[in-house]
Amino acid sequence: MATLDWIVLSMTLTFIVVYGIWKTKAVDTMKGFLMGERDLKWWTIGLSIMATQASAITFLSTPGQAYTDGMRFAQFYIGLPIAMVILAVFVLPIYYRLNVFTAYQYLENRFDLKTRVFAALLFLVQRGLAAGITIYAPAIILSSIMGWSLSWTVLIIGAIVIFYTVMGGSKAVSQTQQSQMIIILSGMALAFIIILYKLPENIDLSNAMTIAGGLEKLNVLDFEFSWDNRYNFWSGIFGGTFLFLSYFGTDQSQVQRYLSGKSLTESRLGLLFNGLLKVPMQFMVLFVGLMVFVFFQFSKPPIHFNNVNLDELRTSKYEGELAQLQSNYDDVFDAKKIAMNELVAVEDKGSQQFITAKTKIQSLHAQENEIRTSVKGLIEQNNPSAETNDKDYVFVNFVVNYLPKGIVGLLLAVIFSAAMSSTSSELNALATTSMIDFYRRLYRKDEEDKHYLKVSKLLTVFWGLLALAFAAFASLFDNLIQAVNIIGSLFYGSILGIFVVAFFLKKIGGTQVFIAAVIAELLVLSIFAGVHLEVFNIAYLWLNAIGCLLVVFIALGLYYANIGKQGPPKIHYE
Amino acid sequence: MSSSELPENDKPPMFKNWNQLYAFVLIMHAFILLLFYLITQAYS
Repeated sequence: MATLDWIVLSMTLTFIVVYGIWKTKAVDTMKGFLMGERDLKWWTIGLSIMATQASAITFLSTPGQAYTDGMRFAQFYIGLPIAMVILAVFVLPIYYRLNVFTAYQYLENRFDLKTRVFAALLFLVQRGLAAGITIYAPAIILSSIMGWSLSWTVLIIGAIVIFYTVMGGSKAVSQTQQSQMIIILSGMALAFIIILYKLPENIDLSNAMTIAGGLEKLNVLDFEFSWDNRYNFWSGIFGGTFLFLSYFGTDQSQVQRYLSGKSLTESRLGLLFNGLLKVPMQFMVLFVGLMVFVFFQFSKPPIHFNNVNLDELRTSKYEGELAQLQSNYDDVFDAKKIAMNELVAVEDKGSQQFITAKTKIQSLHAQENEIRTSVKGLIEQNNPSAETNDKDYVFVNFVVNYLPKGIVGLLLAVIFSAAMSSTSSELNALATTSMIDFYRRLYRKDEEDKHYLKVSKLLTVFWGLLALAFAAFASLFDNLIQAVNIIGSLFYGSILGIFVVAFFLKKIGGTQVFIAAVIAELLVLSIFAGVHLEVFNIAYLWLNAIGCLLVVFIALGLYYANIGKQGPPKIHYE
Repeated sequence: MSSSELPENDKPPMFKNWNQLYAFVLIMHAFILLLFYLITQAYS
């Protein structure tokens, strides 16, 4: 990497951290540390919510998703604005009225202590695992593309995040996230403009979209329903709404962001800001990936985007087979490039000439994909434990090899910023939940505020070090990232079900919802086992809706069967 | 903050009431989905 890129990268990250801490006044109370001074305006809340959700892997993986699978991933987010409105109407006023630190505190007042502890525990397990992955996932990609040490990359990201999260607490997290989101959005917009500029002279935006559409990459909406199709309109609008209700309404890493608002109005506006901008933002990130795809129709991409896999193969017994595949790949690429130019030269998009050129390109593209699949097969034969899916490497490969000096540093700062923004929220939320729902509630109830402040800082360091330790050992496990994502889908539905019952079914008591949540969780785990054993196939997104509905209906069943009935909950003041 | 201090009746900026703002968010979302549909139809 050029010196200019190092300067841009380090200056950008230093500015974000220093500015974030400078804007945060001295924190001398536990409330100030965990919740900020509750003085944030809506735009800071909105950007903070977006920054928490968008991890580094979002900006590495999403363009690669568009490159390999087109724009249909945009459907994953179409339930989000609906969820934001539902939360703004029903959930936010309740959290504000009860003046809670965590979402789980509300469950004790509504139900009982065991339900609160159960939900808080599920959150700690999920987020504790995810925090390590949030650091590890971009570090493994950056280290293999840039040739950096994995351990140092993990350590640097983790150390910076722990530093400013401990220094300034929740407010420092929100302030840095505001700068991080501005850097992220500016960097992605700049990348988009440069990609367009780098396309051949005869390829404007319209032609680029014709090419992408010809290769079936502009399939943004798919109305065909299928249980096992992960991304279609119906799974997005129903499964997605449940997922985002659960994530934004019950996951403390998000709840904490909008509870830091100056007022209910500011928090509501922050959520709605996210509802308005999130879908266009994801579309833009996918569209950048789509333009990278078009760019690589004219500039030959590597036969496989993960350099480490390719280098291993070049020095293995499969070297000859790889060379043959590379030769075939070169021929197909040259033929496809000629066909692309023929396609864009045709003015009448409905003519037979256009259809013929399109069919030819589709055939050559299929051949290219077959060759790439064969290379993946060789990688697997050479090293059965190698990760052959290279889509996460597409965008960073393009950034490093094709963007001008200085911009590479800025785009790497985008990836680092995204990693740090989501990790800081996670550490802040983990510390808050372990302090409020466990330490202060169950262990030390009547200590001075100074004591709780000190322990909150120590808990932030503890979760940070645990995340670093987990990231350090992550490479020992196969498919860890996928495993953590699945764990999220397995638990979110039940947690959401508990909250839906809490908000909307006032007659149901703590024991009934607790039993329902345990049964629902066991059923969701059984469904997952059925999918895993290939008895049937359901996309993971649906598990959120299934888990939630199971809790609601089982709790209703218990209520009408008069099982697990208990008196009204005792209001618990903290 | 006690419940009496909650500014629940605050008006949102630029809109007469919260329902109008919620409707605006959902209508904008429907408009974005319409654009997605048109893009899909035009380039598929």
